Amino acid sequence: MRKNIKYAMILLTICAVSAFALALTNSITSPVIAQMDSNNRVKALEAVSAGYDIGEQKEVTGHAYVTYVIDLQKDAEVAGYILGLKTAGYGGEMTLVASYTAQGEMLFAQLLTHNETPGLGKKAEDDGYMDKFKGTGGAKPVPTNKTMLSSDDAQAVSGSSVTFTAIAKAINGGSEYVKSLGGVK
Amino acid sequence: MKANLKELTKGIFKENPVFVIVLGLCPVLGVSSQVSNAIGMSAGVMFVLLFSNIFISALRKVIPASIHIPAYIVIIASLVTITEMVMHAFVPAVYSALGVYLPLIVVNCIILGRAEAFASKNTVLDSILDALGMSIGFALGITLIALIRELFGSGTITLFPVGTFSGVINIPWFINNPIRVLALAPGALLLMGFLKAFFDWNTLRKKDR
Repeated sequence: MRKNIKYAMILLTICAVSAFALALTNSITSPVIAQMDSNNRVKALEAVSAGYDIGEQKEVTGHAYVTYVIDLQKDAEVAGYILGLKTAGYGGEMTLVASYTAQGEMLFAQLLTHNETPGLGKKAEDDGYMDKFKGTGGAKPVPTNKTMLSSDDAQAVSGSSVTFTAIAKAINGGSEYVKSLGGVK
Repeated sequence: MKANLKELTKGIFKENPVFVIVLGLCPVLGVSSQVSNAIGMSAGVMFVLLFSNIFISALRKVIPASIHIPAYIVIIASLVTITEMVMHAFVPAVYSALGVYLPLIVVNCIILGRAEAFASKNTVLDSILDALGMSIGFALGITLIALIRELFGSGTITLFPVGTFSGVINIPWFINNPIRVLALAPGALLLMGFLKAFFDWNTLRKKDR
């Protein structure tokens, strides 16, 4: 009995020291990480805004892919939307932002957070990855299957079909959401 | 002193963790698609292995044998989490490149293997040398695999961006004629097999002499 209590005390001490070291590190790093995330989000919104003015963010609940919507304005008129999208990739949840015309055609998109495999699904971060979805969602359907891509694009997503399909479905879901808003208000 | 130095050098060649002991293969196969990922992973493993060996060696007379594993896992997991938080805050590019493989250092067999097989039975100095030798051996192994995979599989060598240098070196001819399978998971397994065979052949050849 005394031996077990001694073992428990040793483990408790190790856990307490570890917890203190983690709390100390977290107190130093978390403000830096929060600031960086905020900067990245602002940069991403500006990158996908297509030169329009960025309006206020409105939260969206209960949608499979859309988490928030921001109006894109030109001369005080709604010219399109930026959507916050979430989807499930190979490594769990991925979040991205995408801009659309008021008719649901995708303009720009950028991946924000993910846990995709380096060298495979992680390529979705690369410049140009989202180009294959540009201009789709309106008259042209969003390619949600590799067979809908050109041979070069299909080869680029080789080995990361789950990531590609997850992003494609989110972009398509965003396009459908924009269409449900009923065009330019 | 010579005996101490042996602890350092054994991990580099004679007991190389990747090609001889064959430990920690998950990240070796997973992140070796780019040289920069291999270097970042090596830095993470070196930090965790060095400090886990130091703490475990220093506490070897305090931690009873029957609670070795839970105590070691708490120490290693804490060090990995600290590494993860520091990398996320101060080297976000490397943190992002390593992705899921960074938290997986917790279950990297090299870390727990060296803690149990070496640090728990040896002095702090020897444990530091063992950690450095094993880390360098791991770094050489994963970087060699990454270099071959990226050069032949993608035609590039990716390092870290510095100033106007983007970090990516395009290798003429290879970039237009890549052997795609090497950039994918099966290529990593194939290459690992060939390199392991080469190292085994080299070891046997030396023994025969």
